Amino acid sequence: MDLNYTPEDIAFRKQVRTWLEQNLPKTEIRNLEDRRAWHRKLFDAGYLGMGWPKEYGGGGARPMEQAVVADEMARVNAPSPTNSLGLGIAGPTIVVHGTDAQKRRYLKKILSAEELWCQLYSEPNAGSDLAALRTSAVDQGDHFVVNGQKIWTSAGAIADWGLLLARTDTKVAKHKGISCFLMNMRQPGVDVRPLKQITGSSEFSEVFMTNARVEKSDQIGKLGEGWAIAQTTLGYERGGRALARVTNYASQHSRLVEAARRMRRHGKPLIEDPLVRQKLGRIWAEIEVERYQALRTLTLLERGEHPGAGGSLTKLSYSELEKRFMELALEILGPYGQLTEGAPKEFQLEIDTAVGERGSWAYAYLWSRAGTIYAGSSEIQKNVIGERILGLPKETRADRVGGKA
Amino acid sequence: MNFSFSDDQILLRNSVRAALDEQCKPAHVRAMFDDPKGYSDHLWGEMAKLGWLGLPFPEEQGGAGLGLVELALVLEEMGRAAYPGPFFATVVLGGLGLTLGGSAAQKDKWLSAIASGTVRATAALLEEHLDWDPAATAATAAKSGSGWALSGLKRFVPWAHAADVVLVPARSPEGLSLFLVDPKSAGVTLTPMVGIDLGSRWSEMRLDKVAVGADAILGQPGTAGPVVESLLRRAAVMSSAEMLGAARRCLDMSVEYAKVREQFGQPIGSFQAIRHRCAEMLLEVENAHAAVYYAAWALTAGAEDAAVAASICKSYVNEAARKVCGDSIQVHGGIGFTWEYDLHLYMKRAKALEPLYGDTEYHRELITRHVTSSR
Ligand SMILES: Cc1cc2nc3c(=O)[nH]c(=O)nc-3n(C[C@H](O)[C@H](O)[C@H](O)COP(=O)(O)OP(=O)(O)OC[C@H]3O[C@@H](n4cnc5c(N)ncnc54)[C@H](O)[C@@H]3O)c2cc1C
Repeated sequence: MDLNYTPEDIAFRKQVRTWLEQNLPKTEIRNLEDRRAWHRKLFDAGYLGMGWPKEYGGGGARPMEQAVVADEMARVNAPSPTNSLGLGIAGPTIVVHGTDAQKRRYLKKILSAEELWCQLYSEPNAGSDLAALRTSAVDQGDHFVVNGQKIWTSAGAIADWGLLLARTDTKVAKHKGISCFLMNMRQPGVDVRPLKQITGSSEFSEVFMTNARVEKSDQIGKLGEGWAIAQTTLGYERGGRALARVTNYASQHSRLVEAARRMRRHGKPLIEDPLVRQKLGRIWAEIEVERYQALRTLTLLERGEHPGAGGSLTKLSYSELEKRFMELALEILGPYGQLTEGAPKEFQLEIDTAVGERGSWAYAYLWSRAGTIYAGSSEIQKNVIGERILGLPKETRADRVGGKA
Repeated sequence: MNFSFSDDQILLRNSVRAALDEQCKPAHVRAMFDDPKGYSDHLWGEMAKLGWLGLPFPEEQGGAGLGLVELALVLEEMGRAAYPGPFFATVVLGGLGLTLGGSAAQKDKWLSAIASGTVRATAALLEEHLDWDPAATAATAAKSGSGWALSGLKRFVPWAHAADVVLVPARSPEGLSLFLVDPKSAGVTLTPMVGIDLGSRWSEMRLDKVAVGADAILGQPGTAGPVVESLLRRAAVMSSAEMLGAARRCLDMSVEYAKVREQFGQPIGSFQAIRHRCAEMLLEVENAHAAVYYAAWALTAGAEDAAVAASICKSYVNEAARKVCGDSIQVHGGIGFTWEYDLHLYMKRAKALEPLYGDTEYHRELITRHVTSSR
């Protein structure tokens, strides 16, 4: 056990820090085009797709280097790149399961944000029970025809392509009849209708597919293997981002400390109130423990091991922590905390809230409710931990009765 | 950067676990409850032979020259076995205290004796007011001849009745100082304090003008503040390791039980109420693990954030262990509430350690001082 960074890692961090000092956008990012330009800059510097194979535009970097870049970006509160689903979900799926032709066709354009992606998994009646999905893809000889509806599709409104799970066989057990495709979102059969979120913005959408077309060459993996592919992709939602996430929390915590210095109660700065001090100390301990865990995960990744079901522990831990943290922040900030506009500067957040929006505390608080729902809710993570790590018996479920699944 | 144990460390943990599985079974733990001394000399001798008693001391003083990560590994196993005996008092409180503050002569004399198993030690860090801040020490040390006369009231002194030497912080005219006291000296009165964990023993220690020699002081008079603070940090992290072991044992027992206990025709582990509780327990245990070993490493390496890491560790593990051990009783139902079932041995160990070496609020306050001063 040696938690010191190696001289190479320290040197690399310095290099990233210098680059960010020189290249961080000086003006606020206002629209998709600004964000794309920033994304492009990060890509040209070699800071995106760092772990992807070199021959497809990636950097072939070590997990530590990827973590350092994300961490340094969080440290200076740099805007996130756009195309997060392309970078986080679609791209890695293509890297692992795609054909050589698919890799050549798609990866570079994901990295350069020339093509933006979304993830077409959830349906109105298939959320946690993802394998219950009903959207169909029917083989027409030279292509597939897709019919059905997806929901909660993040970035759906801006996406050019979608990573699609659809049913290709209704006669086999439900987990076995699913296949995975790359679908062009810019075609007549695809209708995207933005949904308004509790935050007031519209990052996710409903997607209706009516006789939409998917080329044979855009099938990922073998027919009927979509479930297994989705399982591995869901794993990518964790990993090296953990350190950066903690750095984000740390900046938010220091904003909160600043605010507590300014506010007064009973004639004294709030920061002198023992109850407030206890709360700040407790949550800082939790944030730091999350950082230690991020280092543990990085150790595994550096050794080429995959956290496996351990990723469920990480996801459960940080998403629940984020919720506790934001609840506590709003408690301390009082009525300022729930303002979305018009808060005095010292009580604003001004820190990237993980979705790439400069947010108010109120926005960050609302957004913290999402983490324990998407990418497998906390309840689903606990099921995975119970069954796959602790080896507890599976529950009796209708979809597992009678030799199915 | 490498946050995993080395092969040597894993070997150490496995050998400690094997030895304790063999020699510190629940029956042994229970037998010691009724033993006047409270621990086994035989096992003590074994521990000396295996090198555990000198593990963190320099090799010149008969130690193994290892760090706090290794010591934490041993203590985690002791928590897992609810080991009854003065290991923590001797090695952590006495031994590390001497390592931090003692002169070369004092270390030569005491550390090798501790390592060889002939001497047991402890420290008296808490007083009547229950304030862990060394600055609050009220016990006094007055000059007396060539030595000192110590007076004051210490509470919760671990294994004082078994100790050959006690580190006693007291206020001399120069400020806080640290003294070596033989608890059998004239003027020392020990009164047992019995808690829920019968595998831990404490005493109230009253000092009434206890005479100690000039060589009984550690370092210069008035300089003990930082030494006691460092010792307290180490004690906080090492007791956290012990609590972690106890919590992990409670989790393991709960998971095993949930697999075999059936109700409504199914193992109770198939019910989400139980399974989710176990998953949450595992999360807390793994986070506690990260907190303990990060802090142990930071203290050994002298990392910048070592002090705050110790406070993060103790405050976090206090709550994690409370949840995990408490939940383990719930998962077991009625059997978990019986004296005959072993679960309470571990749960009580963790509970007894929770308020010691800085309770949760004490450490949270230190954490907040750190975050508000460093920015
Ligand atoms: C902000 C946001 C962005 C999203 N982006 C995308 C996206 O880009 N692409 C995409 O495909 N999907 C996306 N989703 C959808 C997300 O994956 C689903 O919301 C999630 O899987 C939960 O499904 P559900 O909403 O249908 O809830 P349900 O599955 O109906 O769950 C409702 C409640 O029941 C609980 N529950 C369900 N099953 C069990 C069980 N077996 N045991 C115990 N409790 C259970 C859940 O934990 C939850 O508390 C997004 C969601 C959010 C909130």
